[in-house]
Amino acid sequence: MTTRLLKYIPIVLLAVATTSCKKYLDVNDTPNNPLEVQPAQLLASGLSGAAFAAAGDMNRFGQVIMDYHTGTAGSPSTWDIYNTNGADFGNQWRLDLYDGSLIAFKDMIRRGDELDSKAYSGVGKIMLGYTFAFTTDIWGDIPYSQALKGRDYPTEGNSVLQPRLDKQEDIYKGNAGLGIQSLFDLVREGIADLDATSALKPGTKDDLIYGGNLANWKKAGYTLLMKLALQISKREPALAATVINEALAADYIKSNTENMGVKFGNVVGSQSPLFYLINVSSFRDEMLVSTRYVTRLQALNDPRLDRWVTKPSGNFVTLDNGYRGTIPTNTTFSRLSTVITGLDGVGPVRLLTNAQRAFILAEAALTLDISIPDANADALYKEGIRASMQDAGVENTAIDAYFAANAAVVTLSGTVAQQVEQIITQKYIALTGNPLEAWNDYRRTGYPVMAEHQNAVGIDGKRPVRAQYIDQEVARNPNFSPAPLPNVKVWWDVD
Amino acid sequence: MKKALLLWLFVAMGVVHALAQTRSLSGKILDAKDGTPLPGVTIKIKGTNTGTVSTPNGSFKLDAVENSATLIISFVGYEAQEIGVGNSSSITIQLKPDTKSLQEVVVTAQGIIRDKRSLGYATETVSGADLSQKSEPNVLNSLAGKVAGVNISSSSGAPGASTNINIRGITSFSGSNQPLIVVDGVIFSNDVDNTQNTLFGTQPSNRLADIAPESIESVNLLKGPAAAALYGSRASAGAILITTKSGKGLTGKTEVTVTSSMNFSQVSGLPEFQNEYGQGANNDYVANSSNSWGPAFGSLDSITTTQGTRVPYKAYPNNVKDFFQTGRIIQNGVNLSSGTADNNITLGLSSTLQKGIIPETEFNRHSVQLGGNRKFQNGIKVSSSVTYVRSNQLGIPQGNGGSAFGLLTRIPRSYDLMGQPFEDPITGRSIFYNTTQNHPMWSVFNEQFTSKLNRVFGYFTLSYDFTKWLSASYRVTGDMYNDRRKFVAQPTSARNPEGQILEDQFYRGEFNGDLNIRAFKKDLFTPGLELTALLGQNINHRDFQNATINAQSLTVPNFENVAGALVFSTSTETSNRRRLLGYYGQLSFNYKSYLFLELTGRMDQSSTLPKDNNKYFYPSAALSFVPTDAFKLKSDVLSYLKLRVNAARVGRDADPYLLNNTYTKSSYGNNTASITFPISTTGGFVPGFDPSNRLAPDKLTPEFTYSYEGGINVGLFKSRVSIDATYFYTRSVNQIFNLSISNSSGFDTRTANVGLMTNKGIELLVNATPLQFRDFSWDVSINYTRIRNMVHRIGDNVGDIKNTAITGDGFIGIQPSIAEGYAYGVIIGTKNARNDAGQLLINPTTGLLVPGIAGEVISDPNPDWIAGITNTFRYKNFSLSFLIDTKQGGDIYSFSMADVRGNGSLAITAADRDQPRILPGVIATGDGKYVPNNIQISAQSYWAALGGLASEGAVFDATVYRLREISMYYTLPSRWFLNSAIGSVSLGASARNLFFYAPHYPADPETNTQGAGNIQGMDLNGAPATRNFGANLRVTF
Repeated sequence: MTTRLLKYIPIVLLAVATTSCKKYLDVNDTPNNPLEVQPAQLLASGLSGAAFAAAGDMNRFGQVIMDYHTGTAGSPSTWDIYNTNGADFGNQWRLDLYDGSLIAFKDMIRRGDELDSKAYSGVGKIMLGYTFAFTTDIWGDIPYSQALKGRDYPTEGNSVLQPRLDKQEDIYKGNAGLGIQSLFDLVREGIADLDATSALKPGTKDDLIYGGNLANWKKAGYTLLMKLALQISKREPALAATVINEALAADYIKSNTENMGVKFGNVVGSQSPLFYLINVSSFRDEMLVSTRYVTRLQALNDPRLDRWVTKPSGNFVTLDNGYRGTIPTNTTFSRLSTVITGLDGVGPVRLLTNAQRAFILAEAALTLDISIPDANADALYKEGIRASMQDAGVENTAIDAYFAANAAVVTLSGTVAQQVEQIITQKYIALTGNPLEAWNDYRRTGYPVMAEHQNAVGIDGKRPVRAQYIDQEVARNPNFSPAPLPNVKVWWDVD
Repeated sequence: MKKALLLWLFVAMGVVHALAQTRSLSGKILDAKDGTPLPGVTIKIKGTNTGTVSTPNGSFKLDAVENSATLIISFVGYEAQEIGVGNSSSITIQLKPDTKSLQEVVVTAQGIIRDKRSLGYATETVSGADLSQKSEPNVLNSLAGKVAGVNISSSSGAPGASTNINIRGITSFSGSNQPLIVVDGVIFSNDVDNTQNTLFGTQPSNRLADIAPESIESVNLLKGPAAAALYGSRASAGAILITTKSGKGLTGKTEVTVTSSMNFSQVSGLPEFQNEYGQGANNDYVANSSNSWGPAFGSLDSITTTQGTRVPYKAYPNNVKDFFQTGRIIQNGVNLSSGTADNNITLGLSSTLQKGIIPETEFNRHSVQLGGNRKFQNGIKVSSSVTYVRSNQLGIPQGNGGSAFGLLTRIPRSYDLMGQPFEDPITGRSIFYNTTQNHPMWSVFNEQFTSKLNRVFGYFTLSYDFTKWLSASYRVTGDMYNDRRKFVAQPTSARNPEGQILEDQFYRGEFNGDLNIRAFKKDLFTPGLELTALLGQNINHRDFQNATINAQSLTVPNFENVAGALVFSTSTETSNRRRLLGYYGQLSFNYKSYLFLELTGRMDQSSTLPKDNNKYFYPSAALSFVPTDAFKLKSDVLSYLKLRVNAARVGRDADPYLLNNTYTKSSYGNNTASITFPISTTGGFVPGFDPSNRLAPDKLTPEFTYSYEGGINVGLFKSRVSIDATYFYTRSVNQIFNLSISNSSGFDTRTANVGLMTNKGIELLVNATPLQFRDFSWDVSINYTRIRNMVHRIGDNVGDIKNTAITGDGFIGIQPSIAEGYAYGVIIGTKNARNDAGQLLINPTTGLLVPGIAGEVISDPNPDWIAGITNTFRYKNFSLSFLIDTKQGGDIYSFSMADVRGNGSLAITAADRDQPRILPGVIATGDGKYVPNNIQISAQSYWAALGGLASEGAVFDATVYRLREISMYYTLPSRWFLNSAIGSVSLGASARNLFFYAPHYPADPETNTQGAGNIQGMDLNGAPATRNFGANLRVTF
């Protein structure tokens, strides 16, 4: 009897085993990573990513190319003789920009819209505009309208895995035919979103720039419009004037406290890359301040020099760019001080400043048909210098004294070209710490006047005027071929 | 009892005497290989029905044996013997294991025991005796050189360091290529859990190290997918079935085996150093230089060290060697089994205590096993076994830049490494010639890794024979361990200047339930056709968890607790769970024992695949034919011939959670400047997440490997020679792989099914008995393996990458890679520039090599072929066996040798050092022509030019010949113990790695700093190998 019953056991077991397996197998949602996050977490990540792009390895490239620093070893010494290729800036493109800040902002816009939190969408669009402009200014034509859509792959197919490159002209101006929104419209949309009601808003912690002050974000948005407009003003003076007039009619950055700067922390693992690379890291000995920079500021009796550049040995220990001789002891190197790099690494990493805005308007007043008369260019020029000196911690009385003693320096004079040279030269000084922005101005205007480096090699012995597409993209996306060499000008670089 | 026995003997002898023609005969049956007594052996008097079976201690007794009688002694798996009794009253018979046996039984997939001749695929069995007491605590190391089709390499001589094993090459781009390990039916984790970056961390164990070699009865390798198909997804890399000692074959008595061994280890394979020139560069003494390009000894009396002391300038020939100590391995084991074949109990205890050659390193393993079988009166059989293991490991980090081993290759020849204090008693800081690095002994005491592992595994089986032809069983198995690890790096340690404590906890658990129904039918359809059928169902559940507290910035000196740290932001937790349901079946046809066909099929349903498409099926078919039986071809020359072919497809499911698009905690920058969220700002801690760099697939199928195999088994000269040859071809497609995509998509990789990789190979096994006299025999066993792996395709789209790094830690510019057109695992780095004729290009002004070309394949770790030869000599109770093996070809990429050559410590760099040298190469003349290089450079420039770290110069041919193992056994004559409780006693001595010869490499090329896994063939300043030797004892009761 038992034997007979036992015979059926396997059949029963098999039956039990085959049922209810659907639930049994439903264990494949990861507990290790969130499947969705709040916009606050994306904002903090995106902002610090944008700061790393501007103040990381590419910043060091800017430092030596733009004569702020001289390279003594490693990559900076290579860049110092103008050698750069597709092996450079892979990490910045990949980890800081497209797979870092850009995708974070893009996703934050989606999440902000989804959660009726347009404040985040607005900040996201302004930052997306800033960061895409940063990227196209360096590399020229870049993936833009089809970029950052990897997750649409199941519906969109290969085109989002190997995005098309949009022309820089189309990125700035838009191209309806190709479905490209202009950077201006992107930023305008962002500014408009800031006015919408918003369930969640950036706060003191996640907003590493303004601590949740949306009014300041709006000002930053309009100031960014000015910067973008001026960047293409040689190509599109009328469009540039329209945009700047639009911004002038609104509110924009008018004080140093409204500077758009990303804040960091003062402990290891939280510190600003600018501070860490220049003051702490093992890479710090790969550069020292350029003799040319010190000479330039000394010639102007500039009070910012002593505040910004260190003298560990009591004197400035600097080298000329491209110098290929014996290098002084690293303990004596003149470096940028923590006045500019941020004490203990807290930053900020300045992305857009009040001084920059004043110089933008000063130049626009001279060169563009905007609602500020030419006569006000000088006032704006002075405002820019003063703002920068204040930012450097120079006392107002000292600034007044400097202005009194160096009237020729702080007063615009001569032809428009000469005045623009004065403006951009002061802007160059004010942009100390943000050399890539100074490089944008230099390529656009040819100022400040800088001699070629010693032992220059590069493609043709001249300063690179763009970065070459990174090797990884050329290998992974056929749209990046043929990759222009670093001596090929970008669209807005007219002469 | 003893008295009774004596009385019985007395009476028995009386009877003998009385009959005059017959008498009683007692004897003992031993395994000729290792002298262990063999129970259950059938002893029959030829021509009669009289016979008996040997007892658990191998003894037997026969009454009324005539002097002219001949005994036939037979036992499964051993050669049958016929022995004339003569007039002796006691006899010791040594049975030789029958490697050529026609009836050899082997354990196959799902624990099914099969007659080896019926198999249509290659398997190989290694007996426990060949693995235990061989001066080696890790089973995988003991297997090396003994089996065909398998590539085994230990990663270093550090205690507990992992060992890599691949069977028939690599079949998965990024999945594990280690075979499935099954211990007594329990799927057994052989994972390597890494606590630190594998470039710089301590080498943890592969978890098969938790099995004591002494407890192993046999190891069977299922090499191809066809053999392993019933294990499903897990066995695409082959399977290793380990059977531990149990009560099988018991005949009602208690058997106890005690084994004990004591071994010593010494450092092996250090390069030969020069002792003519000391510290410095360009013939000048430089106190903080790691070079030995300084002045010749004798030219300076004394020098000032970086500590400011004045010391004699002389060579310290053993300064590096003396860093190492003599290690020891003490292994003890007790195995007790009692009962009958159906009702028995076994208890196994084992202990391994290993102290390494590196100071402060250990591996200690203790295990207890309790198991038993019981057949109830109603016919239900239960069997169960549970093993508890505790393995503790103590180790130190390795790797370049800061570890003890990274600095041992940078010790100037004139530096008194071990004769001076290495730690400042007040500050606790290192005292070393190099003030920015730490003394190796400082690292030993201040950077320590501890692993404390507790593991339990076991099974419970319930089975029942319904009828003679139908039986069923249900088996539940479990294997779980918890590994509590701690890594402490004191402040001022090279990689953690602020100090670090890692509290790292691992849990792994796997549970399986298997229902098996077996049926057997004779004379199916036609007389002589047998069918054995199996139907099975498997439920599988696996859990993994790793929780790490990464405590940085230690504040209180010598307080080794995370409570003393300041920063915890990189602490992590990872949990994985996966489940699988499998349904499988097997049909085995046997036609008159000369034609066999086996069909298997398995369908798996995996939790890691898309829900609506998570089932996959894979079949196998194997055919074997024995013409010698079918056509009665047997002759004195050809004793056996078998031909076999098979084809199979096995699937491998995905890793868990690949289907989710997720967000990851953000971090930016690299080691020169970085932030990791949450960051600490003036406003407090700020979290940050961004979309993961990996794009989840919208559809995913399993990886598939198609395998085709053909082989031949030949027995010659009355089976004194047997040959087993196999050719195989595998084709692996649909690799589940993170394919690089354009970063402007916002993502770095996308998981997809891509790629094509093949392996083809030859395996050859030859066993022969060239000489055999009455008491003497000489056996030879040869194995040969040749495998060619080729990555044909990675991605399928235009723009898909042509090469990519293997998942894992790596240095930029030295990338273990998957590259189209090359074998898996080649290393991509900087290749020296050459002209079209392949001559090295030389810079016409400096006389040095022109800059190399980055991104080229410079090294291929895959050997051309591997072979091993074991010779065993037996004379009476004495046996001597030695194994020589070789790996031919294959490269090793070595930081260590590039270091010692470039810094002038290697012996060869002292030869003619004061003579100028010319690099071999040519100088371009500008018109497309080349002239031979004639620019003289110094010895220092010459050797430095030959290779920096990230270049071709660090690549060496890894060909090596090795006297891998010697063992010697003597079994004390059994008559000494005839009347005692002792069954047998054997004494032995063994040694491993006594000698090696590497013609193209100055040290031992069998090393791999990154441990077991898919990245092989790199010495990134790892620990050296060891040479072990010792004595052992085995007693049975």
